[in-house]
Amino acid sequence: MAGSSIAGAAVKGLATAVPEHVETVQSLARVFGEQDSAKIARSIGVNTRHLASPDQCTSDLCHAAASALLRHLQWDPASVDALLFVSQTFDYILPATGCTLHERLGLSKSCATFDVALGCSGFVYGLWLAYSLVSTGCRRVLLLAGDVISKVTGAGDRSTKPLFGDAGTATAIEADELSIAHFELGTDGTGNRQLIVPAGLFRRPHSLDTSVATERENGNVRSDEDLYMNGAEIFTFSLREVPPLVARILERSGWAKTEVDAFVLHQANKFMLDHLAKRMQLESEKVPISLAYFGNTSSASIPLTITQCLRGELEDRKRRLVLAGFGVGLSWGAAALEIGPLAIPDLIVVP
Amino acid sequence: MDKKEFYAEIATVLELEPGSIKGNETLEELEGWDSMAVLGFIAMLDSRLGLIVPASSIAASRTVEDLVNLCQGKVTE
Repeated sequence: MAGSSIAGAAVKGLATAVPEHVETVQSLARVFGEQDSAKIARSIGVNTRHLASPDQCTSDLCHAAASALLRHLQWDPASVDALLFVSQTFDYILPATGCTLHERLGLSKSCATFDVALGCSGFVYGLWLAYSLVSTGCRRVLLLAGDVISKVTGAGDRSTKPLFGDAGTATAIEADELSIAHFELGTDGTGNRQLIVPAGLFRRPHSLDTSVATERENGNVRSDEDLYMNGAEIFTFSLREVPPLVARILERSGWAKTEVDAFVLHQANKFMLDHLAKRMQLESEKVPISLAYFGNTSSASIPLTITQCLRGELEDRKRRLVLAGFGVGLSWGAAALEIGPLAIPDLIVVP
Repeated sequence: MDKKEFYAEIATVLELEPGSIKGNETLEELEGWDSMAVLGFIAMLDSRLGLIVPASSIAASRTVEDLVNLCQGKVTE
């Protein structure tokens, strides 16, 4: 798509919630060995990750984030006109997880609610949808983006297990005549098998075969109901698509790189982020990184990075942000928006 | 970039001494040639040669010479 610029909406606040349980590099050493775990951690830049407990779902994290945000903004739940839930890890095949959150948040019957099944690019897609909804008449939109990807990583898969963490976020978008945001979005469906949970739903239903973990490439152990990630394919895809994507969003917004306060990239892994930042000639202090404490949190990674790394800068003034999400799909999206002052509650830790 | 430099770059990716790669090795016998080294190799080709080669062609490579051949003539004798 050619991209779009949408006037009349603005982000008013963001909140992030994470599970209480924390896994460290030291605990990974028990599975992958001390030397390998340390080497992996150094390369991907992840020291600790918050992981959902067996009975914790994405909706629980997003619910905690949304409740805190509504309170912080003093928004009456009945004033929310639309709820979007963006995730790859839903509570049920049906109904939409958004509908269960609609109940738990006490939203009104006139609130439009739907789910969007995207991961790394999902927050930008959700923001684009939220701005679009406001431009067509909604006044207040809640965008809930989160994942519990750790639940689908194979315990013995070093390409995914040490990288992914869990988090849920909430973003409040409201009609605002003076505000504008720019978007660029795209898809390369030919890469859909490069980041995939191959079995467990209708294409290949759960069976004894699909649920048995076996040794795969590079000695990684997982089942077909676990996440498969071809890291090399994802890296070359990102090198191919992300620099031109960021160039296009800068062109659309008319901003020079020097006029942007922060480039918030999907937290794929540190090695990739460092290389992309260098390749795009972005000053490293303008590329916030939250990976060390949270890992790659899929659809939550961009809003989590905003709340954890940019809170001080956004609470009392306006800032120009460029956001870029890229990955599973394969799918990508970038946004350029001037936001702030924002309501950002403290990080919520869900027991 | 000439071959000698290319071998030194691969050695850097693998955290080996600069002169340790001779060019006649199979990837299997290279210490540390794993999925993370592949990412390092992809990054090196991008920043040093301006090349983004398909990941599948790296996965299909068996020798250091195969890696040279991926570089579309940008690695000279």
